[in-house]
Amino acid sequence: MALELDGALRERLRHWAQQGYPWECCGLLLGRGAEGVVRVVEVTSARNLNTERAQDRFELDPQDFLRADTLARERGLEIVGVWHTHPDHPAVPSATDLESAWEGWSYLILSVAAQGVQAMRSWRLAGREFVEEHVS
Amino acid sequence: MSTVHVRIPMPLRGCTGGADEVEVQAATVGEALHALVGRHASLSPRLLSPEGTLRPFVNVFVGDRDVRALRGLDTPLSEGDVLAVIPAVAGGSAQEVLAELKARIPEIAPREALAQQARGALLVDVREPDEIAQGTAPGALRLGRSFLELRIERAAPDPRQPLILMCGSGARSLFAAADLARLGYASVCSLAGGFTRWKGEGLPVEVPPTLDAAARERYSRHLLMPEVGEAGQVKLQASKVLLVGAGGLGSPAAYYLAAAGVGTLGIVDHDVVDRSNLQRQILHNDARVGTSKVASARQTLEALNPTVKVVGHEEHLSSANVERIFGGYQLVVDGCDNFATRYLVNDACVRLKLPNVHGSVYRFEGQVSVFWPARPQRPGPCYRCLYPEPPPPEYAPSCAEAGVLGVLPGVIGLLQATEALKILLGVGEPLVGRLLYFDALRASFSTLQLQRDPDCRYCGEGRAFPGYVDYERFCASAAA
Repeated sequence: MALELDGALRERLRHWAQQGYPWECCGLLLGRGAEGVVRVVEVTSARNLNTERAQDRFELDPQDFLRADTLARERGLEIVGVWHTHPDHPAVPSATDLESAWEGWSYLILSVAAQGVQAMRSWRLAGREFVEEHVS
Repeated sequence: MSTVHVRIPMPLRGCTGGADEVEVQAATVGEALHALVGRHASLSPRLLSPEGTLRPFVNVFVGDRDVRALRGLDTPLSEGDVLAVIPAVAGGSAQEVLAELKARIPEIAPREALAQQARGALLVDVREPDEIAQGTAPGALRLGRSFLELRIERAAPDPRQPLILMCGSGARSLFAAADLARLGYASVCSLAGGFTRWKGEGLPVEVPPTLDAAARERYSRHLLMPEVGEAGQVKLQASKVLLVGAGGLGSPAAYYLAAAGVGTLGIVDHDVVDRSNLQRQILHNDARVGTSKVASARQTLEALNPTVKVVGHEEHLSSANVERIFGGYQLVVDGCDNFATRYLVNDACVRLKLPNVHGSVYRFEGQVSVFWPARPQRPGPCYRCLYPEPPPPEYAPSCAEAGVLGVLPGVIGLLQATEALKILLGVGEPLVGRLLYFDALRASFSTLQLQRDPDCRYCGEGRAFPGYVDYERFCASAAA
């Protein structure tokens, strides 16, 4: 699988990730998937409901999910994945990520430090583990 | 009973045969979900517990309201209601990875790190440049994280070298330590609590000299290279280079050294700009014909890089003033055009132990070398080791007599500037003990090995400096 994400969308994610630092932030990826390639057309930012451990946990506000879902349906798109940040940690899924992951979605992780986004990698659940997918 | 629409999120569509919406008849949310799983059985464990309650990792919304905030599964439905099944989206960063690293990588307290540093361990600061600019531990190697694996080998070629990694709070340094351990470093540990704790415990802190934002932008291409980086650029900023002559060789050399950010450029020249100079002496221009070369050079260099300090020495270099002028510079770029000055520059550099970056041109040819008998390691010859005496004038005509291709001093002057930068930065292997010869007509470079003369009157081991001579007479006598 591969995830297509153009420069403008990446820039927005970067901006959100940097603004949110040192807290974890998250949002949804809207787009279309066909023949092994998921093309992201829109990205949204969502509230992190886990304020207690916002430095290392996120819980996406279902209201924001609903809004994104409505937006996607209006535009003939789908929610194709989730993005979230790992402040001061690599862009590799954690055990918590694995526990809460759903199949069929792309999990884009941005590693962010004080200096900005250090890496952006995407993962998909395959059985009981994550497999990295190419981001282009 | 009402007809309601249940929206299915993508991760659950495998259970609905790909359908993104399913229509059911129901009076309550609970009935709607039971009708749904009745039709698509594999959805059941994903939505409902064996007791029939809603799973914690899904949310169900009626319109824009969470049923948990309404009456849960008993929430009544009306005709045409839209029920959205929303998967809980959650996650977290690598706390577990961190726990695993903590178990594997030894962590030491700041005081212990300071003690180990005193015993030879290398403290490596892996924070970002902006963080390091606020302060760091004295003697810490400021390698940063991004290029750590590439830079560490130069800083610590021996894999047995003990390393202590430091970041802001002790998390990033664990990852960095794990990476270096993987590279083969046998003794790697992480500073517990990072620089924050180091500072909090009152251990010594220094604010390293850094570049301002304008300098960061100006030298960004230098900063990208680990061989220069911020530390190297700061070094260049503090460097003082003397150019003998603002002519064919001095022009390109000074121009690029100013561009590169060498902080202080001294220029010795007592001449004025002549129109015949402009074919190669690019610091000057037509409007400045007849004006002082030092003033013209200053104008050009300051226009290019206003942060460079240009020190003019508008005098004829002589035995009487050479030490006064050379004193305080770290390196001399010799771009003079006559033998008397060349011997004087050589002798003064030998006496003051300065590297002498030599260049000369003749028609289509040029040569470059670094004369540096006082080099701490692997010293090389001085100009007199090669030519104890000047050649008769007819064997060595000047540009004014023999002519020179205008670009030739450009090539040679820039090779001199390159050598100067390498020496200032301490990178690479300077042209010490070697002479690089360029033949423009053949388009070829060749290198000649140069030997030190152990009996050289000026730089021979253990010899006292024999003093300056009358260089004009010394060179004129060669003609006799």
